[in-house]
Amino acid sequence: MSFDLQFGLPDLNPEPNTYDVIIIGGGPAGTSAAIYTARADLRTLVIDKGLTAGALGITGKISNYPGIPGPISGAELVRTMRQQAESFGATFLADKVIGVDLHSTPKMVMAGTNTFYGKVVILATGSMGRTNTIPGESELLGRGVSYCATCDGAFFRNKTVAVIGNNDEALEEALFLTRFADKVYLIAPTPSLKASESLASEVAGHPRIEIRLATSLREIVGNGQVEGLRIRPRGGDESFLPVSGVFVYLQGGQPIVDYLMGQLQTSPEGCLLVDHERQTSIPGVFAVGDLLCSHVKQAVIAASDGVIAAIAAEKHIRERKALVVDWN
Amino acid sequence: MALLEEKDRQYLIKEFEALRNPVKIVVFTQKFECQFCRETRQIAEEVAGLSDKISLEVYDFEDDKVVAEQYGIEQIPATIILLGGEQPKDYGIRYFGMPSGYEFTSLIFDIKMIGTGESGLSAATKQWAANLKTPVHMQVFVTPTCPYCPQAVVLAHRLAMESDFIRADMVEATEFPHLAMKYDVMGVPRTVINEDTHIEGAVPESTLLAKLKQAVAAEAMLPRA
Repeated sequence: MSFDLQFGLPDLNPEPNTYDVIIIGGGPAGTSAAIYTARADLRTLVIDKGLTAGALGITGKISNYPGIPGPISGAELVRTMRQQAESFGATFLADKVIGVDLHSTPKMVMAGTNTFYGKVVILATGSMGRTNTIPGESELLGRGVSYCATCDGAFFRNKTVAVIGNNDEALEEALFLTRFADKVYLIAPTPSLKASESLASEVAGHPRIEIRLATSLREIVGNGQVEGLRIRPRGGDESFLPVSGVFVYLQGGQPIVDYLMGQLQTSPEGCLLVDHERQTSIPGVFAVGDLLCSHVKQAVIAASDGVIAAIAAEKHIRERKALVVDWN
Repeated sequence: MALLEEKDRQYLIKEFEALRNPVKIVVFTQKFECQFCRETRQIAEEVAGLSDKISLEVYDFEDDKVVAEQYGIEQIPATIILLGGEQPKDYGIRYFGMPSGYEFTSLIFDIKMIGTGESGLSAATKQWAANLKTPVHMQVFVTPTCPYCPQAVVLAHRLAMESDFIRADMVEATEFPHLAMKYDVMGVPRTVINEDTHIEGAVPESTLLAKLKQAVAAEAMLPRA
């Protein structure tokens, strides 16, 4: 019986994991903030789930970003911004933030691979969070429905499972599940996968993964535990797919705030509340971009938020009384 | 072959300098050690060797049945972290199964918590725990690759430190499939409270406290036998 357990310590030494600024989310808001904080010689870390986890990353073509005559893909635009931030010394980490402690000093950010410490945290996780659940999803949560393949994959050894989603995260989790499950269905609601090419081809070529594109999940069925899924391909008939587990990685339009575990208040719509410098009710914690449910959800608006927060963060860290602007 | 890498050993030696109280690790294994028992014992041996403040006792589940009963141990591998020294104290903090992968951080946290004598819980939670007069047993089911699980384990162990009525176990679900089945565990972390209440996920302190209050109140309403 091999569990492939990696007994390593997830790098407990805080020294290399301590930053001036930790930015959660690497879209236009987070990355623009990183450009400014890195240029201000603040040690900056950006933790990002994946290029295609965010709204800009999955946008096909953009032609109206000021200064960038298009058309350019959203992913390419984000990539360009990242490279710019990295050129000033910002560090980007591909990981998922699973929890934070914003009241501690320094502030703690717990990612899947490690825990990081920062004087300032800038929240830039956007609003691709889910709004609706699928029939059967909440009833069978923990009974075969899961949102964490690394947590629960072990319960499906030699079984058949499904992953619902189309982005980097969904594909990575599908690959992880092949260590345990005999068969993994990847059910994508869109006609094509919105993930990086290398990941998409790895999944397409995997003998244990079967991809079903343009297929919607109508219901998760089971009596006390998951027995199968009712699915319908676009333009086709509904059918029943027997599975023992279903891992859901769908997206919606809600601000993503679950990792905050209630440490910050949200508006009735689920948006974060900030002052004119984008600072939340916790000093040293800023929120930017679509998390604020701005009247206009556009990449350039998100970018400007990121910059405002970055300048305010610099003021906070260096205990200035007034903002100092980076004029070139 | 050592399980801990040298850089991690050096880091932990430094971390353990903050220990003020003596900490005792007690491990239950058996003569014909399975892979998990052997590695659990090895983890404990390596960690105990990193500080003078940490002592280790290893017992055989069969040969040392009396000791096993004293600690209420019914399955192995079992690891207990207690306050050591002249006046040892068992807070009811247990690990069933190997504290590996992400759970290694829980083990280190517990040693530091007992070694510094501070649970880190809020005043409100400490107050509730201090006033508690009925037993609460939490079993936190985990898998080693679950990044959210240590938060649930550590929270339960913190509570165990604050009250003699609270016991908290980490239970590694893949090593104890019969327990996972008994408590319907198909997703982790799942915290089972007093057998018939449960909560999913790594919930914040206030959420767990509310659930515990509910579980204790429900028990109080059961007809006495």
